[in-house]
Amino acid sequence: MTNLIEVKDLHKSFGELQVLKGVSEHISKGEVVSIIGPSGGGKSTLLRCLNLLEVPTSGQIIFEGVDITAKGVNVDKHRQKMGMVFQHFNVFPHMTVGENITMAPTLLGKKSKAEAEDMAKELLNTVGLYEKINEYPGRLSGGQKQRLAIVRALAMEPDVMLFDEPTSALDPEMVGEVLAVIKNLVKGGMTTVIVTHEMGFAREVSDRVFFMDGGVLAEKGSPEELFGNPQNPRTKEFLGKVLY
Amino acid sequence: MDILMNIVKVVTRYWNLLLQGTANTLLLSAITVLVGIVIGSLLALMRLSNFHIGHFRPLNAIATIYTEVIRDTPLLLQLYFFYFLVPMMFPGIDMGKTFSVVLALCLNSGAYVAEIIRAGISAVDKGQTEAARSLGLNYRQTLTKVIFPQAVKNILPALCNEFVSVVKESSLASTFFVGELMTQYKTINGVIYLAIEPLIIVGIIYFILGFSLSKCVAALERRMSTSD
Repeated sequence: MTNLIEVKDLHKSFGELQVLKGVSEHISKGEVVSIIGPSGGGKSTLLRCLNLLEVPTSGQIIFEGVDITAKGVNVDKHRQKMGMVFQHFNVFPHMTVGENITMAPTLLGKKSKAEAEDMAKELLNTVGLYEKINEYPGRLSGGQKQRLAIVRALAMEPDVMLFDEPTSALDPEMVGEVLAVIKNLVKGGMTTVIVTHEMGFAREVSDRVFFMDGGVLAEKGSPEELFGNPQNPRTKEFLGKVLY
Repeated sequence: MDILMNIVKVVTRYWNLLLQGTANTLLLSAITVLVGIVIGSLLALMRLSNFHIGHFRPLNAIATIYTEVIRDTPLLLQLYFFYFLVPMMFPGIDMGKTFSVVLALCLNSGAYVAEIIRAGISAVDKGQTEAARSLGLNYRQTLTKVIFPQAVKNILPALCNEFVSVVKESSLASTFFVGELMTQYKTINGVIYLAIEPLIIVGIIYFILGFSLSKCVAALERRMSTSD
């Protein structure tokens, strides 16, 4: 398997606060990785460093063979290949559902308007939002907004999808519909990195699970290893609290 | 009862002056806010610009200093300042005192408009910028396609409020007799030696202007928030 993303000795500080204290890892093409761990452990910061929404204090991110942390690299170009889904959806409220999807591919010259519209219809169909295409996001539920956010990212045809706690802001009854969309995506072979508190989901879909605590990857392994037989006492303690 | 009689007398005798003053006040305020929007937008763009020399951002610094100086000194002082400065800057050319006053009002309003625009932009959720950037949009595309269209909703009602306050603040320009509503008060007061009565009339006119404009702004705000 080829490396899609390589992280080398990543550090990130916010002022005095050290959030990432040296993370090195690689993610292969087609791999599904879940990052779990307590709040404040650096999970989201690590994810946000991957597409440089947070600029690392030191260390490197190598994406598709290019060091995107190097000076003079056009980060915008590389971000087009990394889709991201946020906890709070961040759909564009001033655009219709359809425009939310077509805006980036047409503006960035990836697709003609007609092509983008065709793709938007197709994508909306797959997540059950086809009839909402001309509505504004203000009229969607949280689960619908998040499904829209996912297909908005997919419209750029990314090589990897990054999910930052995609179900944490949802009403409980809407979690399932969003996880189902992600599961479908994973089945289709999309390389996926997901920060999540949904342990059952992480266990089910992941190839590997990272347990992150105190700014380092405290433990990593297959879901069976990490959930079934955790080695690190911090992992044991954390899982003991969240799995009951 | 005397006051009432005098009010009627003032209105019947000087209604054309009052009308003219009201028109001038509205015109003066409109010019002030329109030019203020141009200046304010420029200042806001300067504050948003990424241009820097080392860590120093000169455009940002200039705009910030300008805005702070204007907002933290009295408008009346600024009016005096330009009243004396403009003739010194253009010796031999008579720009007229009205020009100085309008210039001061515009420069003053520009600083407030800049602050309105800045606040309107920073009120847009940070997640919107992150979402746009994560799709691969650059900074400029993010501003024009995602941030500005949403900021307009915050900015427009606040700009109308700025117009309402300029209508009232422009009364300070009467210090230089530029013909707006408060100047007409001084004229009437000087002719018939009545202080309270014309003041009441002028006050009522200001109130009607301010009140009805504020109601319009409130209606605009309601429409803006429902069109989401």
